[in-house]
Amino acid sequence: MHASRNRTRALATIVGVPLAILAVVAAYFFVSWQVQAAPEQPAPMDHAAMTKKGVSCLFCHSDALKSPAAGIPSVEKCMGCHQTIKTDSPKIEEVAAYWHRQEPIPWARVNQLPRFVYFSHRVHVNAGLNCELCHGDVAQMQAAEPVTKMNMGWCLDCHEQQPDAGQLRDCVICHQ
Amino acid sequence: MAKISRRDFIKMGAAGLLATVLTGCQNPRRWVTLEPYVIPPEEQLAGVATWYASTCRQCPAGCGIIVRVMNGRALKIEGNPKHPLNKGKLCARGQAGLQVLYNPDRLPGPVQQTERGSGRFQPISWEEGLNTLYDRLRQAGSGTAIWTGSTTSGHLLDLFERFAAATGAPSPLVFDLYSELNGLAALENADRAFFGQNRLPTYNLEQADVILSFGADFLGPWLSQVRYGMAFGAFRSQSLGKRGYLVQLEPRMSITGAKADWWLPISPGTEALVAQALARIIADGPLGPAEWATKANTLASEIDVSSVAAASGIPVTELEQLAHIFAAATRPLAIPGNALAAQDGQGTAIAAVQALNAIAGADGLALSPDSPATSLLKPQVSPFGDVQALIERMQAGDVQVLLIHGANPVYDLPESARVVDALAHVPFVVSFGPIADETGVQADLVLPDRTYLESWGYDVTSPGFDLPAVGSQQPVVTPVFDAHSTADVLLTVTRGIPTAAAALPWSDEVAFLKEIIPQLGPGAAGGLDTDVLWSRFLQHGGWWPATAPPPAPHTPVLSQSVQAEAPQFQGDEQEYPYFLHLYMSDLLSDGRGADQPWLQGSPDPMTTVAWQTWVEIHPQTAQKLGVKDGDVVHITSPAGEIEAPVYIYPAIRPNTIAVPVGQGHTDYGRYARKRGSNPMDLVGTTSEGLAWATTRVKITPTGKKIAQAGFENKAGVDEGFINEAFPG
Repeated sequence: MHASRNRTRALATIVGVPLAILAVVAAYFFVSWQVQAAPEQPAPMDHAAMTKKGVSCLFCHSDALKSPAAGIPSVEKCMGCHQTIKTDSPKIEEVAAYWHRQEPIPWARVNQLPRFVYFSHRVHVNAGLNCELCHGDVAQMQAAEPVTKMNMGWCLDCHEQQPDAGQLRDCVICHQ
Repeated sequence: MAKISRRDFIKMGAAGLLATVLTGCQNPRRWVTLEPYVIPPEEQLAGVATWYASTCRQCPAGCGIIVRVMNGRALKIEGNPKHPLNKGKLCARGQAGLQVLYNPDRLPGPVQQTERGSGRFQPISWEEGLNTLYDRLRQAGSGTAIWTGSTTSGHLLDLFERFAAATGAPSPLVFDLYSELNGLAALENADRAFFGQNRLPTYNLEQADVILSFGADFLGPWLSQVRYGMAFGAFRSQSLGKRGYLVQLEPRMSITGAKADWWLPISPGTEALVAQALARIIADGPLGPAEWATKANTLASEIDVSSVAAASGIPVTELEQLAHIFAAATRPLAIPGNALAAQDGQGTAIAAVQALNAIAGADGLALSPDSPATSLLKPQVSPFGDVQALIERMQAGDVQVLLIHGANPVYDLPESARVVDALAHVPFVVSFGPIADETGVQADLVLPDRTYLESWGYDVTSPGFDLPAVGSQQPVVTPVFDAHSTADVLLTVTRGIPTAAAALPWSDEVAFLKEIIPQLGPGAAGGLDTDVLWSRFLQHGGWWPATAPPPAPHTPVLSQSVQAEAPQFQGDEQEYPYFLHLYMSDLLSDGRGADQPWLQGSPDPMTTVAWQTWVEIHPQTAQKLGVKDGDVVHITSPAGEIEAPVYIYPAIRPNTIAVPVGQGHTDYGRYARKRGSNPMDLVGTTSEGLAWATTRVKITPTGKKIAQAGFENKAGVDEGFINEAFPG
């Protein structure tokens, strides 16, 4: 009786402990996969198709040169082209539906920095950096994905290589 | 109950953890939504704020504001650094203005109700609302009455005036609780005796070296809190390290009293007597320069100083000391407070204090600059007699349609004024309130106006300091709800009323404003043609000249002695042993701020209590009544009764209790409703106004107790005061 209970307990330990560890590891990978995954967007936005036709990033995200935020194009801007281009595509019809309802498209944010970080697209784009450097090769993506883990080490890696690294290392550059 | 084993406990714990984790996974939207514009405004940059200049309308002072707008949303209000009144400063109420705009209880569109007072509103279309109003106004003709408040924009009041004149209706009434508790009408009228003109005086604190404030809470909500706050700073730090000396005479310590060098707890209603006694002492001394004594001899009444000492509770020695301080100053200033304006014989009472300024040569006193252009209207608050006259006309059935904008008479006036009863005699009541307040609930039709951050308008700064100024008001965001500007509503419906159409020919309010504003001419901002003048007016937050015009001559008109008497209090001294001291809440002001949770949640500067009404009682009195902090008492006056929890307050006369005004709303949105009590219910009417400063009350403990939302610990606060300030 005692022996069988001991055996059961040993079996439970041998199977249970690795299972539990596996569950934790799996959960970790699941969460990081979820964070890295492209968010579900309300309307399909095929970045690859647009860039293949020669549309530059700044055509839609036109505030990146002038403002801290790159900006998301207004529905009016989408329709500026798409009332004549590819109007029969079901994807474009979805966008057109928003326009006809005069509703904003509730896009899901792909990259987000914490509130305590100040980042300006204007400064970086005007310093001659390409969009891909941070955002990955969006020209190959259908839906935009967060390819870079935008943490402090990653920012500093680049800031350290700049000629004025001394200034760019300063805390208040990003934490204003 | 079955015993839970350790094993069961761990199992339950694990199940709980799993449930928590699984619930977390079901979050339907992990991603932040980025909503772009459907059609972006011109020159809008993502992530870059736009600042718009406008004018604050949380009180009639009219501070200039600038509003930070990001992606079409107003995010922050600051003071306009260019505006000559507030020079970039702003008070808590001004900051809270965003919650007027985004208040969730704003009416989403026009509504009507079939049963008044039910609060069961049926949404209607604007077309239907306008048509109903049009039909009613057309039928009413001269039977229309208009009730506006002290913060109604100048252009709307102007349009109402023109409409009333064209249809033969009486001129609009300008009256709300704010104007009443500030004593605006009385102060303006009384100053005719002193300046010969009906305009609010401005007290240049920064030019004075001694100030005797007779209950004027100028660092609180009196007249222009922001401006007086700045002036007080200058008064305290004058050139060569001089520091002004402030004496505050009031029965209950206000925020101004707390800042004073000498706080004198004077018996309620004896301010004018004390002022006369001081003049008498200066004349008899004689104290101060020779010409002061000569003037004092003319102006001082034959008053017995010792009897004033007995009535006011200030010993003769202290009165003499006060007179010496006043007479030894180079530029002393006496300020008549609002309590003087709330008693019968208010004009004489205010003149008694102004007499002290006349004796001292009225240095540091100026008259508000006159309206800078005849085309612009500066609202003149109606005396209470006009309010009573309108209420009588309503009761007599002479009013067919009542339009109410910017005032909340059902809340503002006590039951003794019989407003609700009078409204019942008016066949059709229209409210323009953005939120259904107490008056809106008594209306047949509510056509919500836009709030001030969505509206056009102007405000002639009054009281004005230094420069005559007109604040501009422009929409900083597109309307949040389907509200329409009342001025546009009026212009639309009058198109169909033949008598009024010719008097109001403008297509909309902007056309009207663009016609009258450029008549101001180029001010400090310059500009030559009409369009430039108009856009500069909006861009800079208003119009004011580059340099101050020469001050209007104001030889004091007072030439004979002032004979003010102690006011009659309502309520027999035996039955109602305590004086009632009502004061405007620093945050909620007259109650219009009660719908804004930021203001509700800000602690009162003197008591730290928030979200409540309380009654301040001296520790001695509390001991006598056997009540402690938080004990609910019943306060009864000859006119009405309320309940409020006790707040033991050492800085008040033992025979006086004080209650802040502002709470006790029965409607006006979720944050205001059913919170505290409205002490105006205790107030009766007199022949000259509301007896809010001349009422006696009695107190009965109810045995109930409620927790007070306050910040402080009061251990040991009371002892010294019981023994020293009020011996016995």
